[in-house]
This record gives sequence, C-alpha cells and structure tokens, in this order.
Amino acid sequence: MIRHATPKLAAYAGLSAAGLLAALVVARPELVALTAPFLLALAAGLVLATPPRFDVDVTLDRQRVLEGDIVTTRVALTASGPVDRLDLYVRLPPGVELEQGDNPMALRLRSGEQRELEFDVRAARWGGHVLGPTYLRARDPLGLLVWERTQPIRPELRAYPREDVLRRVLRPAETQVLSGNEVARAKGEGIEFADIRPWAPGDSLRRVNWRASARHSALRSELWVNEAHPERNTDVILFVDSFAEARLDGRSTLDLAVRATAALADSYVGRRDRVGLIGFGGILRWLVPGTGIVQLYRIVDALLDTQIVLSYYWREIDVIPRRTLPPNALVIALSPLLDARSVGALLDLRARGIDLAVIDVSPVPFTRRPADGLDAIAHDVWTLRRGALRHRLQRAGVAVAEWQVSTPLQAVLEEVRSFRRYARHARV
Amino acid sequence: MITGLAALAALAAADTYAVTAAGRFASVSLGLATASIVLLVLGLLLRLPSTIPWALLAAAAGYLVGIQGRDTVDGWAAVIGVALLLAAELASWSIDHDKRIRSERALVVRRAATLAVLAAVALFVNFMLLAAAAVTAAAGTVVAAVGVAAAVTAVAIVLRLVRT
Repeated sequence: MIRHATPKLAAYAGLSAAGLLAALVVARPELVALTAPFLLALAAGLVLATPPRFDVDVTLDRQRVLEGDIVTTRVALTASGPVDRLDLYVRLPPGVELEQGDNPMALRLRSGEQRELEFDVRAARWGGHVLGPTYLRARDPLGLLVWERTQPIRPELRAYPREDVLRRVLRPAETQVLSGNEVARAKGEGIEFADIRPWAPGDSLRRVNWRASARHSALRSELWVNEAHPERNTDVILFVDSFAEARLDGRSTLDLAVRATAALADSYVGRRDRVGLIGFGGILRWLVPGTGIVQLYRIVDALLDTQIVLSYYWREIDVIPRRTLPPNALVIALSPLLDARSVGALLDLRARGIDLAVIDVSPVPFTRRPADGLDAIAHDVWTLRRGALRHRLQRAGVAVAEWQVSTPLQAVLEEVRSFRRYARHARV
Repeated sequence: MITGLAALAALAAADTYAVTAAGRFASVSLGLATASIVLLVLGLLLRLPSTIPWALLAAAAGYLVGIQGRDTVDGWAAVIGVALLLAAELASWSIDHDKRIRSERALVVRRAATLAVLAAVALFVNFMLLAAAAVTAAAGTVVAAVGVAAAVTAVAIVLRLVRT
C-alpha cells in the first residue's frame, strides 16, 4: 500500500510549531492553549495510525448474462488489523451500470472482521466487460495519513446480445450436400414433390405414381415414378462490417448489427445450416462455417469482441481464408455502408459470383439533421448519396434493404427476400 | 453541509469572543476575525483544504491582538483553542465529504465520537495547563509549553497502549 500524508497533517504540524514558537516569543501562555489541541490531535492521530491489513476479493454471481440482465457483485473483505475508515470503489466499465447498492462506499473494519458487500450491476450493453480494478483507500481515525491500494482482481462479465426471434430467414440460392431444412432445387430423395418421370431400372416400387402410370398406359405401357426435392442444409456467412459506426445516445449501428447477427446465427443454426462469421473491420476475424449449438456459442462469443478499431489499412476480400467463404454460400452482410473499404469488399464478393444480401444498418437515425443552412444541405446530400450507393449495389444484383432502428429485423429480411425472389440476375 | 456550518459556527464563536474581549485593538481584531471567516467560507465553498490553516491563523492572531496588554492569563483561551480545533476538524470533514461515497452510519457516529472525545481531552489538558501557568504570565509560558509536551506525550502513550 502507498502511504500519503494528508494536508491536515502538514497544517496541524505547522500550526503547532508556529503557535508554540509564538507563545515563547510573545510570552503569552494563551497561545500555548490555542496550540495544545492541535498538538494533541497530531500526536493522537500519529499514534493511532497503523498500516491497514486486509484482503479483498471481488466476484460476480454469474459470468455470462444476457444484455440488460442484473448481476450481483460481491466484495469480500477480511481484515487482519483494524481499519478505521476504508473507501472502496470497484470501477465499472462503460456498458455496465450500477443498478442497486453502493459503489463507492466507506466502511469500518474491526480486527479479524470478515465482511461481504453486495451491489447489483446491470449489463447495459452487450460485450465482454472487465470490472475493476478495485480502488481502496484507508485512513487513520483522525485523517492524518492515507493508505491507497489498487486491487488487480478483475472479474469478467460477458453480456450476450438480446436477439430477435425470426420466423423466416433468407433462403440461399444453392444448397449443400448434407441434410437440412432447406428444400433443394435439385431432384433426389426427399419429401417435397418435384415432378414425375418414366420408371428406370433401380427405382423403388414405392415411388411409382400409379395414377400417372394408369393415365399414360393408354399410350405407352410404362410406369411413372415421383421425383422429389431433397431437404438439404445451406452455408450462410454472416458478414459484420466493423470499420465504422454511427452512435447516438449510447446506441449505435454496430449494436444493431451485432444483435441482428446473433439472431440470424441462432435461426440458421436451428435449421441445421452451417454458419460462419466474418468480422470485417480494423480487426479482421473470421469463423469457418460450422453447425450446431457449439458453433452458435462460438459466433456469439466472437461477436462480443467486435468493436470499432480505427485502421487506415485498405483490406480486400483476399485476406479472408478461402475456407471461410465456401462455394454456394449465402453471404448476409450487415453494414452501415459508411466505409468505402467495406463497400468495395461487398462489390468484390458479388463480382466473384457469391450469393450476397446486404442489410444496410441505417446510420441516418443516429444523426441529427441541422435545422437549416449548409449543414442541412450536406446532410440531405449525404442521405441521397447513401440511396445512390444502395442503388449501385442493387444494380450489381445484390439484394439491399435499409434497416431503420424502428423497423423489426423480420420486416427487413422480408424486403430482402422479395428482392431476391423477383429481381433478375445481373451480369457483373 | 452540516459539518461545514458547524465549522463556521465554531470559528465564529471564537472570533466573537476575540472581538468582544478586545480592548483598544478591537478594530484590528475584528478585521482579522472577518478575514478568518472569509477564508474558511472560501475553503469550504471551493473545497480547498489549504485555506483552513490560514483561517485559523487569522482567528488566533485576532484573539492574540485582543488580549494584548492584559496582565492576567485569559482562562477562555482553553475554550478558544478547542473551538479552533473543532473548526479545523469539521471543515476538513466537510471538504473530505464526497456525496458519491455512501458512508456507513456507524462510521459517521464513530467519527463524531472521536471528535468529541478529542475536544474533551483537549479542553481538559488546556484547563490544566492554564491553571498551572496562571501564576504569572511570563513564567507561565515556559511551564505551559513543558506541560503541553508532557500531556501530549502521556495521551499518546495511553492511546498506543489502547491500540495495541
């Protein structure tokens, strides 16, 4: 612990010395009487001041919570000597707020006393939060000396984003070879009826369509069998643009993008699809596609570390490993379309023939349009240029929908879905 | 707020006595008393602990100016000394207080009790010293100084023994 003398110690020592000296010079015993209380306080304070001896431990009742959940923080104090006044403060990182209880607080510990303090914090924002360090300041009974210590215990709290429940997600243009919930365009073994064709050696008799065979038997005596679309899984890559964000009043486009990504990952994993992740920004990170609940946890854990990091490095899509972008995968990009590098990467993906859909997490609600003047015109021009950018992507055959903060994600997905259903394929 | 007002009250009481007991230097005493109050108010408002000793020095100087010319020892000096200590302690308490830090009630009670005990002991020591020094003012100063040292040492030893 680091010991400091308070200004009071110096003041009392100075007053005592000056008073006694002045008393001897002017020969007035009253001055001694004025000085004596300060001298007494000084002596008593220094004698009573013993270095505080105590241990501190900070724990959380849960390490993993959902965004908005409340967690109880416990501070365990064990004193091996008396501590007359202890100021204690557990630093809370941005995104974690004090919900109930006291932090900081001042208390007294007797020798040998064990105390457990509790206060509730709320994970106001998703992400990996590290609480602490814990700052401790002890004082002697008369406040002449101060001991300060910083406790390096830093419990970690991982707050997962609250995700929307999606009834329907985007269907990739192509399916993969493993079984899943998506009806493939190809014909094979499955439940969904596709067509009928003449019987061929090797076809099971169970697949014979007797009604069609009877109808055709008048012309040619042959059997007809049913064909079906097989149910296959798909590969979906979630592309989160973390180059730039728009932030207002503690909310940002990145928050929306992360929540939407978590919701999409949950829905696709539930359909037994393989889901991968690309965090494209100042820090590039990726997860190769996988399936199952473990992959969902991997994705959400990776999302927690997503943050905006300033970088001047011009990244291209080449830096992403090939395994992360498997053939016939649907890439769903969540981007505010604020950074030219991510827009360039999206166009590059489309140029390579990758099935791409873009959800434009609109930064417009996170800005305040000036009332008038050049700033207002600039804001309007910027909004128009954003529209032109979306149009440019659409002309390249990319399904783009603007997502305003007030719109449910499902509605935006439906907009993208209808575009993909009715738009013609573009040659790029 | 309460401790700050109490500090002001203690200092004002000491200053009032100094001004009312002053003889021909009453105006000087009044000026110093006013300066001490102003300094303390500034220190409390601006949360500047460095102004407290200057406020006390001004008050003590005002008192000293007021009793100049007396042949006898002023017994009220014992109370004035304790009032100055109380003013200093309460002002420090007020400046130290941070409303963001919630203090346990027991902590506040203990601090108030410590202050009360300190004031009582200081008052007792002062009375004893002034009684011993009241033979004559000139010789009594040395006696009082030695007495202060002895009393403070005795109290310190007792506290040390209690603490261990």
